[in-house]
Amino acid sequence: MHGHSRWTAALVAAVFIAAMAHPASARSHHRASRANQVNPATQPAQVPASGMRSNDELSRRVSEVADAGKTGLTLTLGIHDAEAILGKSVHSSTGEDMGRLVDVVVDTDGRPRAAIIDFGGFLGVGSRKIAVDWSALRFVPNDPKGNVITVALTRDQVKAAPEFKEGSPVVALGAQLGAQASPPAPPATPPPAAPPQAREK
Amino acid sequence: MTRSVAPQRRKGPAPDHGDDERTAARDYTLPAIIPASEPPPHPSRASLLGLGWFVFFVANVQTGFGPFISVYLTSAAWTQVDIGIVLSIGSLVALLGQMPGGAIVDAVRSERLVAAIAVTLIGVSALMFAVWPIYVAVLGASVLHAAASCVLGPAMAAITLGLVGHAGMSERLGRNARFAAIGNGIAAAAMGACGYWLSNRAVFFVTAVLMVPALGALAFIRPGEIDPERAHGGQPERPPQRPLSSLQHPGRWRPLLIFSASFMLFQLANAAMLPLMGSVLTMRSSRWASVLIAACIVVPQLLVALISPWVGRRAQLVGRRPLLLLGFAVLPIRGVLFAVIHDPNILVIAQLLDGVSGAVFGVLVPLVVADVTRRTGHFNLALGIAGTAIGLGATLSTTLAGYVSDHYGSQTAFIILAAIAAAGLASIWTLMPETRPDDDRPPAAAEASPQSS
Repeated sequence: MHGHSRWTAALVAAVFIAAMAHPASARSHHRASRANQVNPATQPAQVPASGMRSNDELSRRVSEVADAGKTGLTLTLGIHDAEAILGKSVHSSTGEDMGRLVDVVVDTDGRPRAAIIDFGGFLGVGSRKIAVDWSALRFVPNDPKGNVITVALTRDQVKAAPEFKEGSPVVALGAQLGAQASPPAPPATPPPAAPPQAREK
Repeated sequence: MTRSVAPQRRKGPAPDHGDDERTAARDYTLPAIIPASEPPPHPSRASLLGLGWFVFFVANVQTGFGPFISVYLTSAAWTQVDIGIVLSIGSLVALLGQMPGGAIVDAVRSERLVAAIAVTLIGVSALMFAVWPIYVAVLGASVLHAAASCVLGPAMAAITLGLVGHAGMSERLGRNARFAAIGNGIAAAAMGACGYWLSNRAVFFVTAVLMVPALGALAFIRPGEIDPERAHGGQPERPPQRPLSSLQHPGRWRPLLIFSASFMLFQLANAAMLPLMGSVLTMRSSRWASVLIAACIVVPQLLVALISPWVGRRAQLVGRRPLLLLGFAVLPIRGVLFAVIHDPNILVIAQLLDGVSGAVFGVLVPLVVADVTRRTGHFNLALGIAGTAIGLGATLSTTLAGYVSDHYGSQTAFIILAAIAAAGLASIWTLMPETRPDDDRPPAAAEASPQSS
């Protein structure tokens, strides 16, 4: 597990990208109305959503950040637009606890391709890290019900998945669910129709 | 094995050195050696109860620091790399600290105080985990916990030996193991519930709070009843010319070395078996996997609680070797069963065997080390030596099993672990001498008090 500082950096970046680039604005959730988060980014600034009383302080910090970064560009994402996902619980669509999201796998373009979920176990004994195709995940930032991340798979479907190992090809489950939307599969991803064979071969 | 070791000391019991223990050790068994000045210890009921409950609450406290740390840090948005680094540093400190920890306990005169400090530090580290799940604090807490544990283990053994002496050690260790097993089992169940219903963070708050009853139980142990000389294995008769020279007699270090190496093989086979089996359960049974794994952790502890007093008594009646052989024999069987059984429910039943070897492990490790370090003053250091070997085995176990199971499947991994366990059994069978001194034999056990000079 050690000595992967490049990985760490890449994955933290991936989580950031995932949190920010997710098209949450296209979803039906209401926009942030009480507080916004400030994130320095390289995209054009958005005017913070209106109707915030305690927002003077926030706006001031926005401009400070803008001044500090010479680009002068910031991006503000509402709390229901985006959220950090590392360590968040993942649920199945039927509400089963699927474990926690512990990593994000990105391709050479920096696009998230799969999420690594620490699945099952008791008090940390017997859990397995499995990869789930990014397109099988749905995100509800700061969901009041707590189901921030939902995966369109059941426990039965993922239980026999091969364990994710760094340095090995990533076998991501549920790739067919978003096949049209996702970019061409890299050679490492096997055909996803059936649950992949168990690792005992 | 027939090693007739020349008697190093004229008086007093010496460990046996082979199958011909009768001839080798007959010279030492005269009742005349019992010194009149030192009556056999009769610790009060309060002290013994205090010791039992102290062991219980320490087991409670320590349960939170297992693999659960990684669950907790994951939920605190830690990356797996950082978690791995922190856990590795913690286990490295736990490994390297064994011998210094034992030496510290050997050197101190108040085992109770040392135990109190160690428990407090562990409580503080639990609190640090709960309050600041940030890198520096968690790294510090992890190192603190590992270092304190290196002292706490030997300190508990020293308190036990200091209270009851060698003659009562076997039975008392059996009872300690019962309290520890109940503590482990209850804590695992309670922490699972706590993590499920409350939060993962709450587990560490509960852990920190449990430090209070642990200290309370420790306060029940009357310090006057812990003989500091006895607690470290008694003083050498002649003042040693060099440090550790009292351990350098082949009659002492040979059994200690064989014993440590055998238990290293034991842990090399044992430590990864449950996690690997849990992973298999997760793979085969979706709905009940977590419950089955919980059962695999808790139920063997109940068995340990049930049988370890018996193990302690038997070790005194029939000797250490038969029980060591029993504990080592069930491990390869368990490995093979895990390799061939596919039904998740039957796997849980096979896991019950862990209770047998767990009870033997819990009682016999401190007992045999106490046997071979009589009259050396280095009981706890020797415990640290054995602990280092055992810890090394446990550390390598998960790496080995992980590698084999990734490349050749879990079935192969179980078979290899079973083979390692069989090697441990063979080394106990062929090399390990009986270490119970003759004067501890049943008729004499009541009045013999072999400690002291």
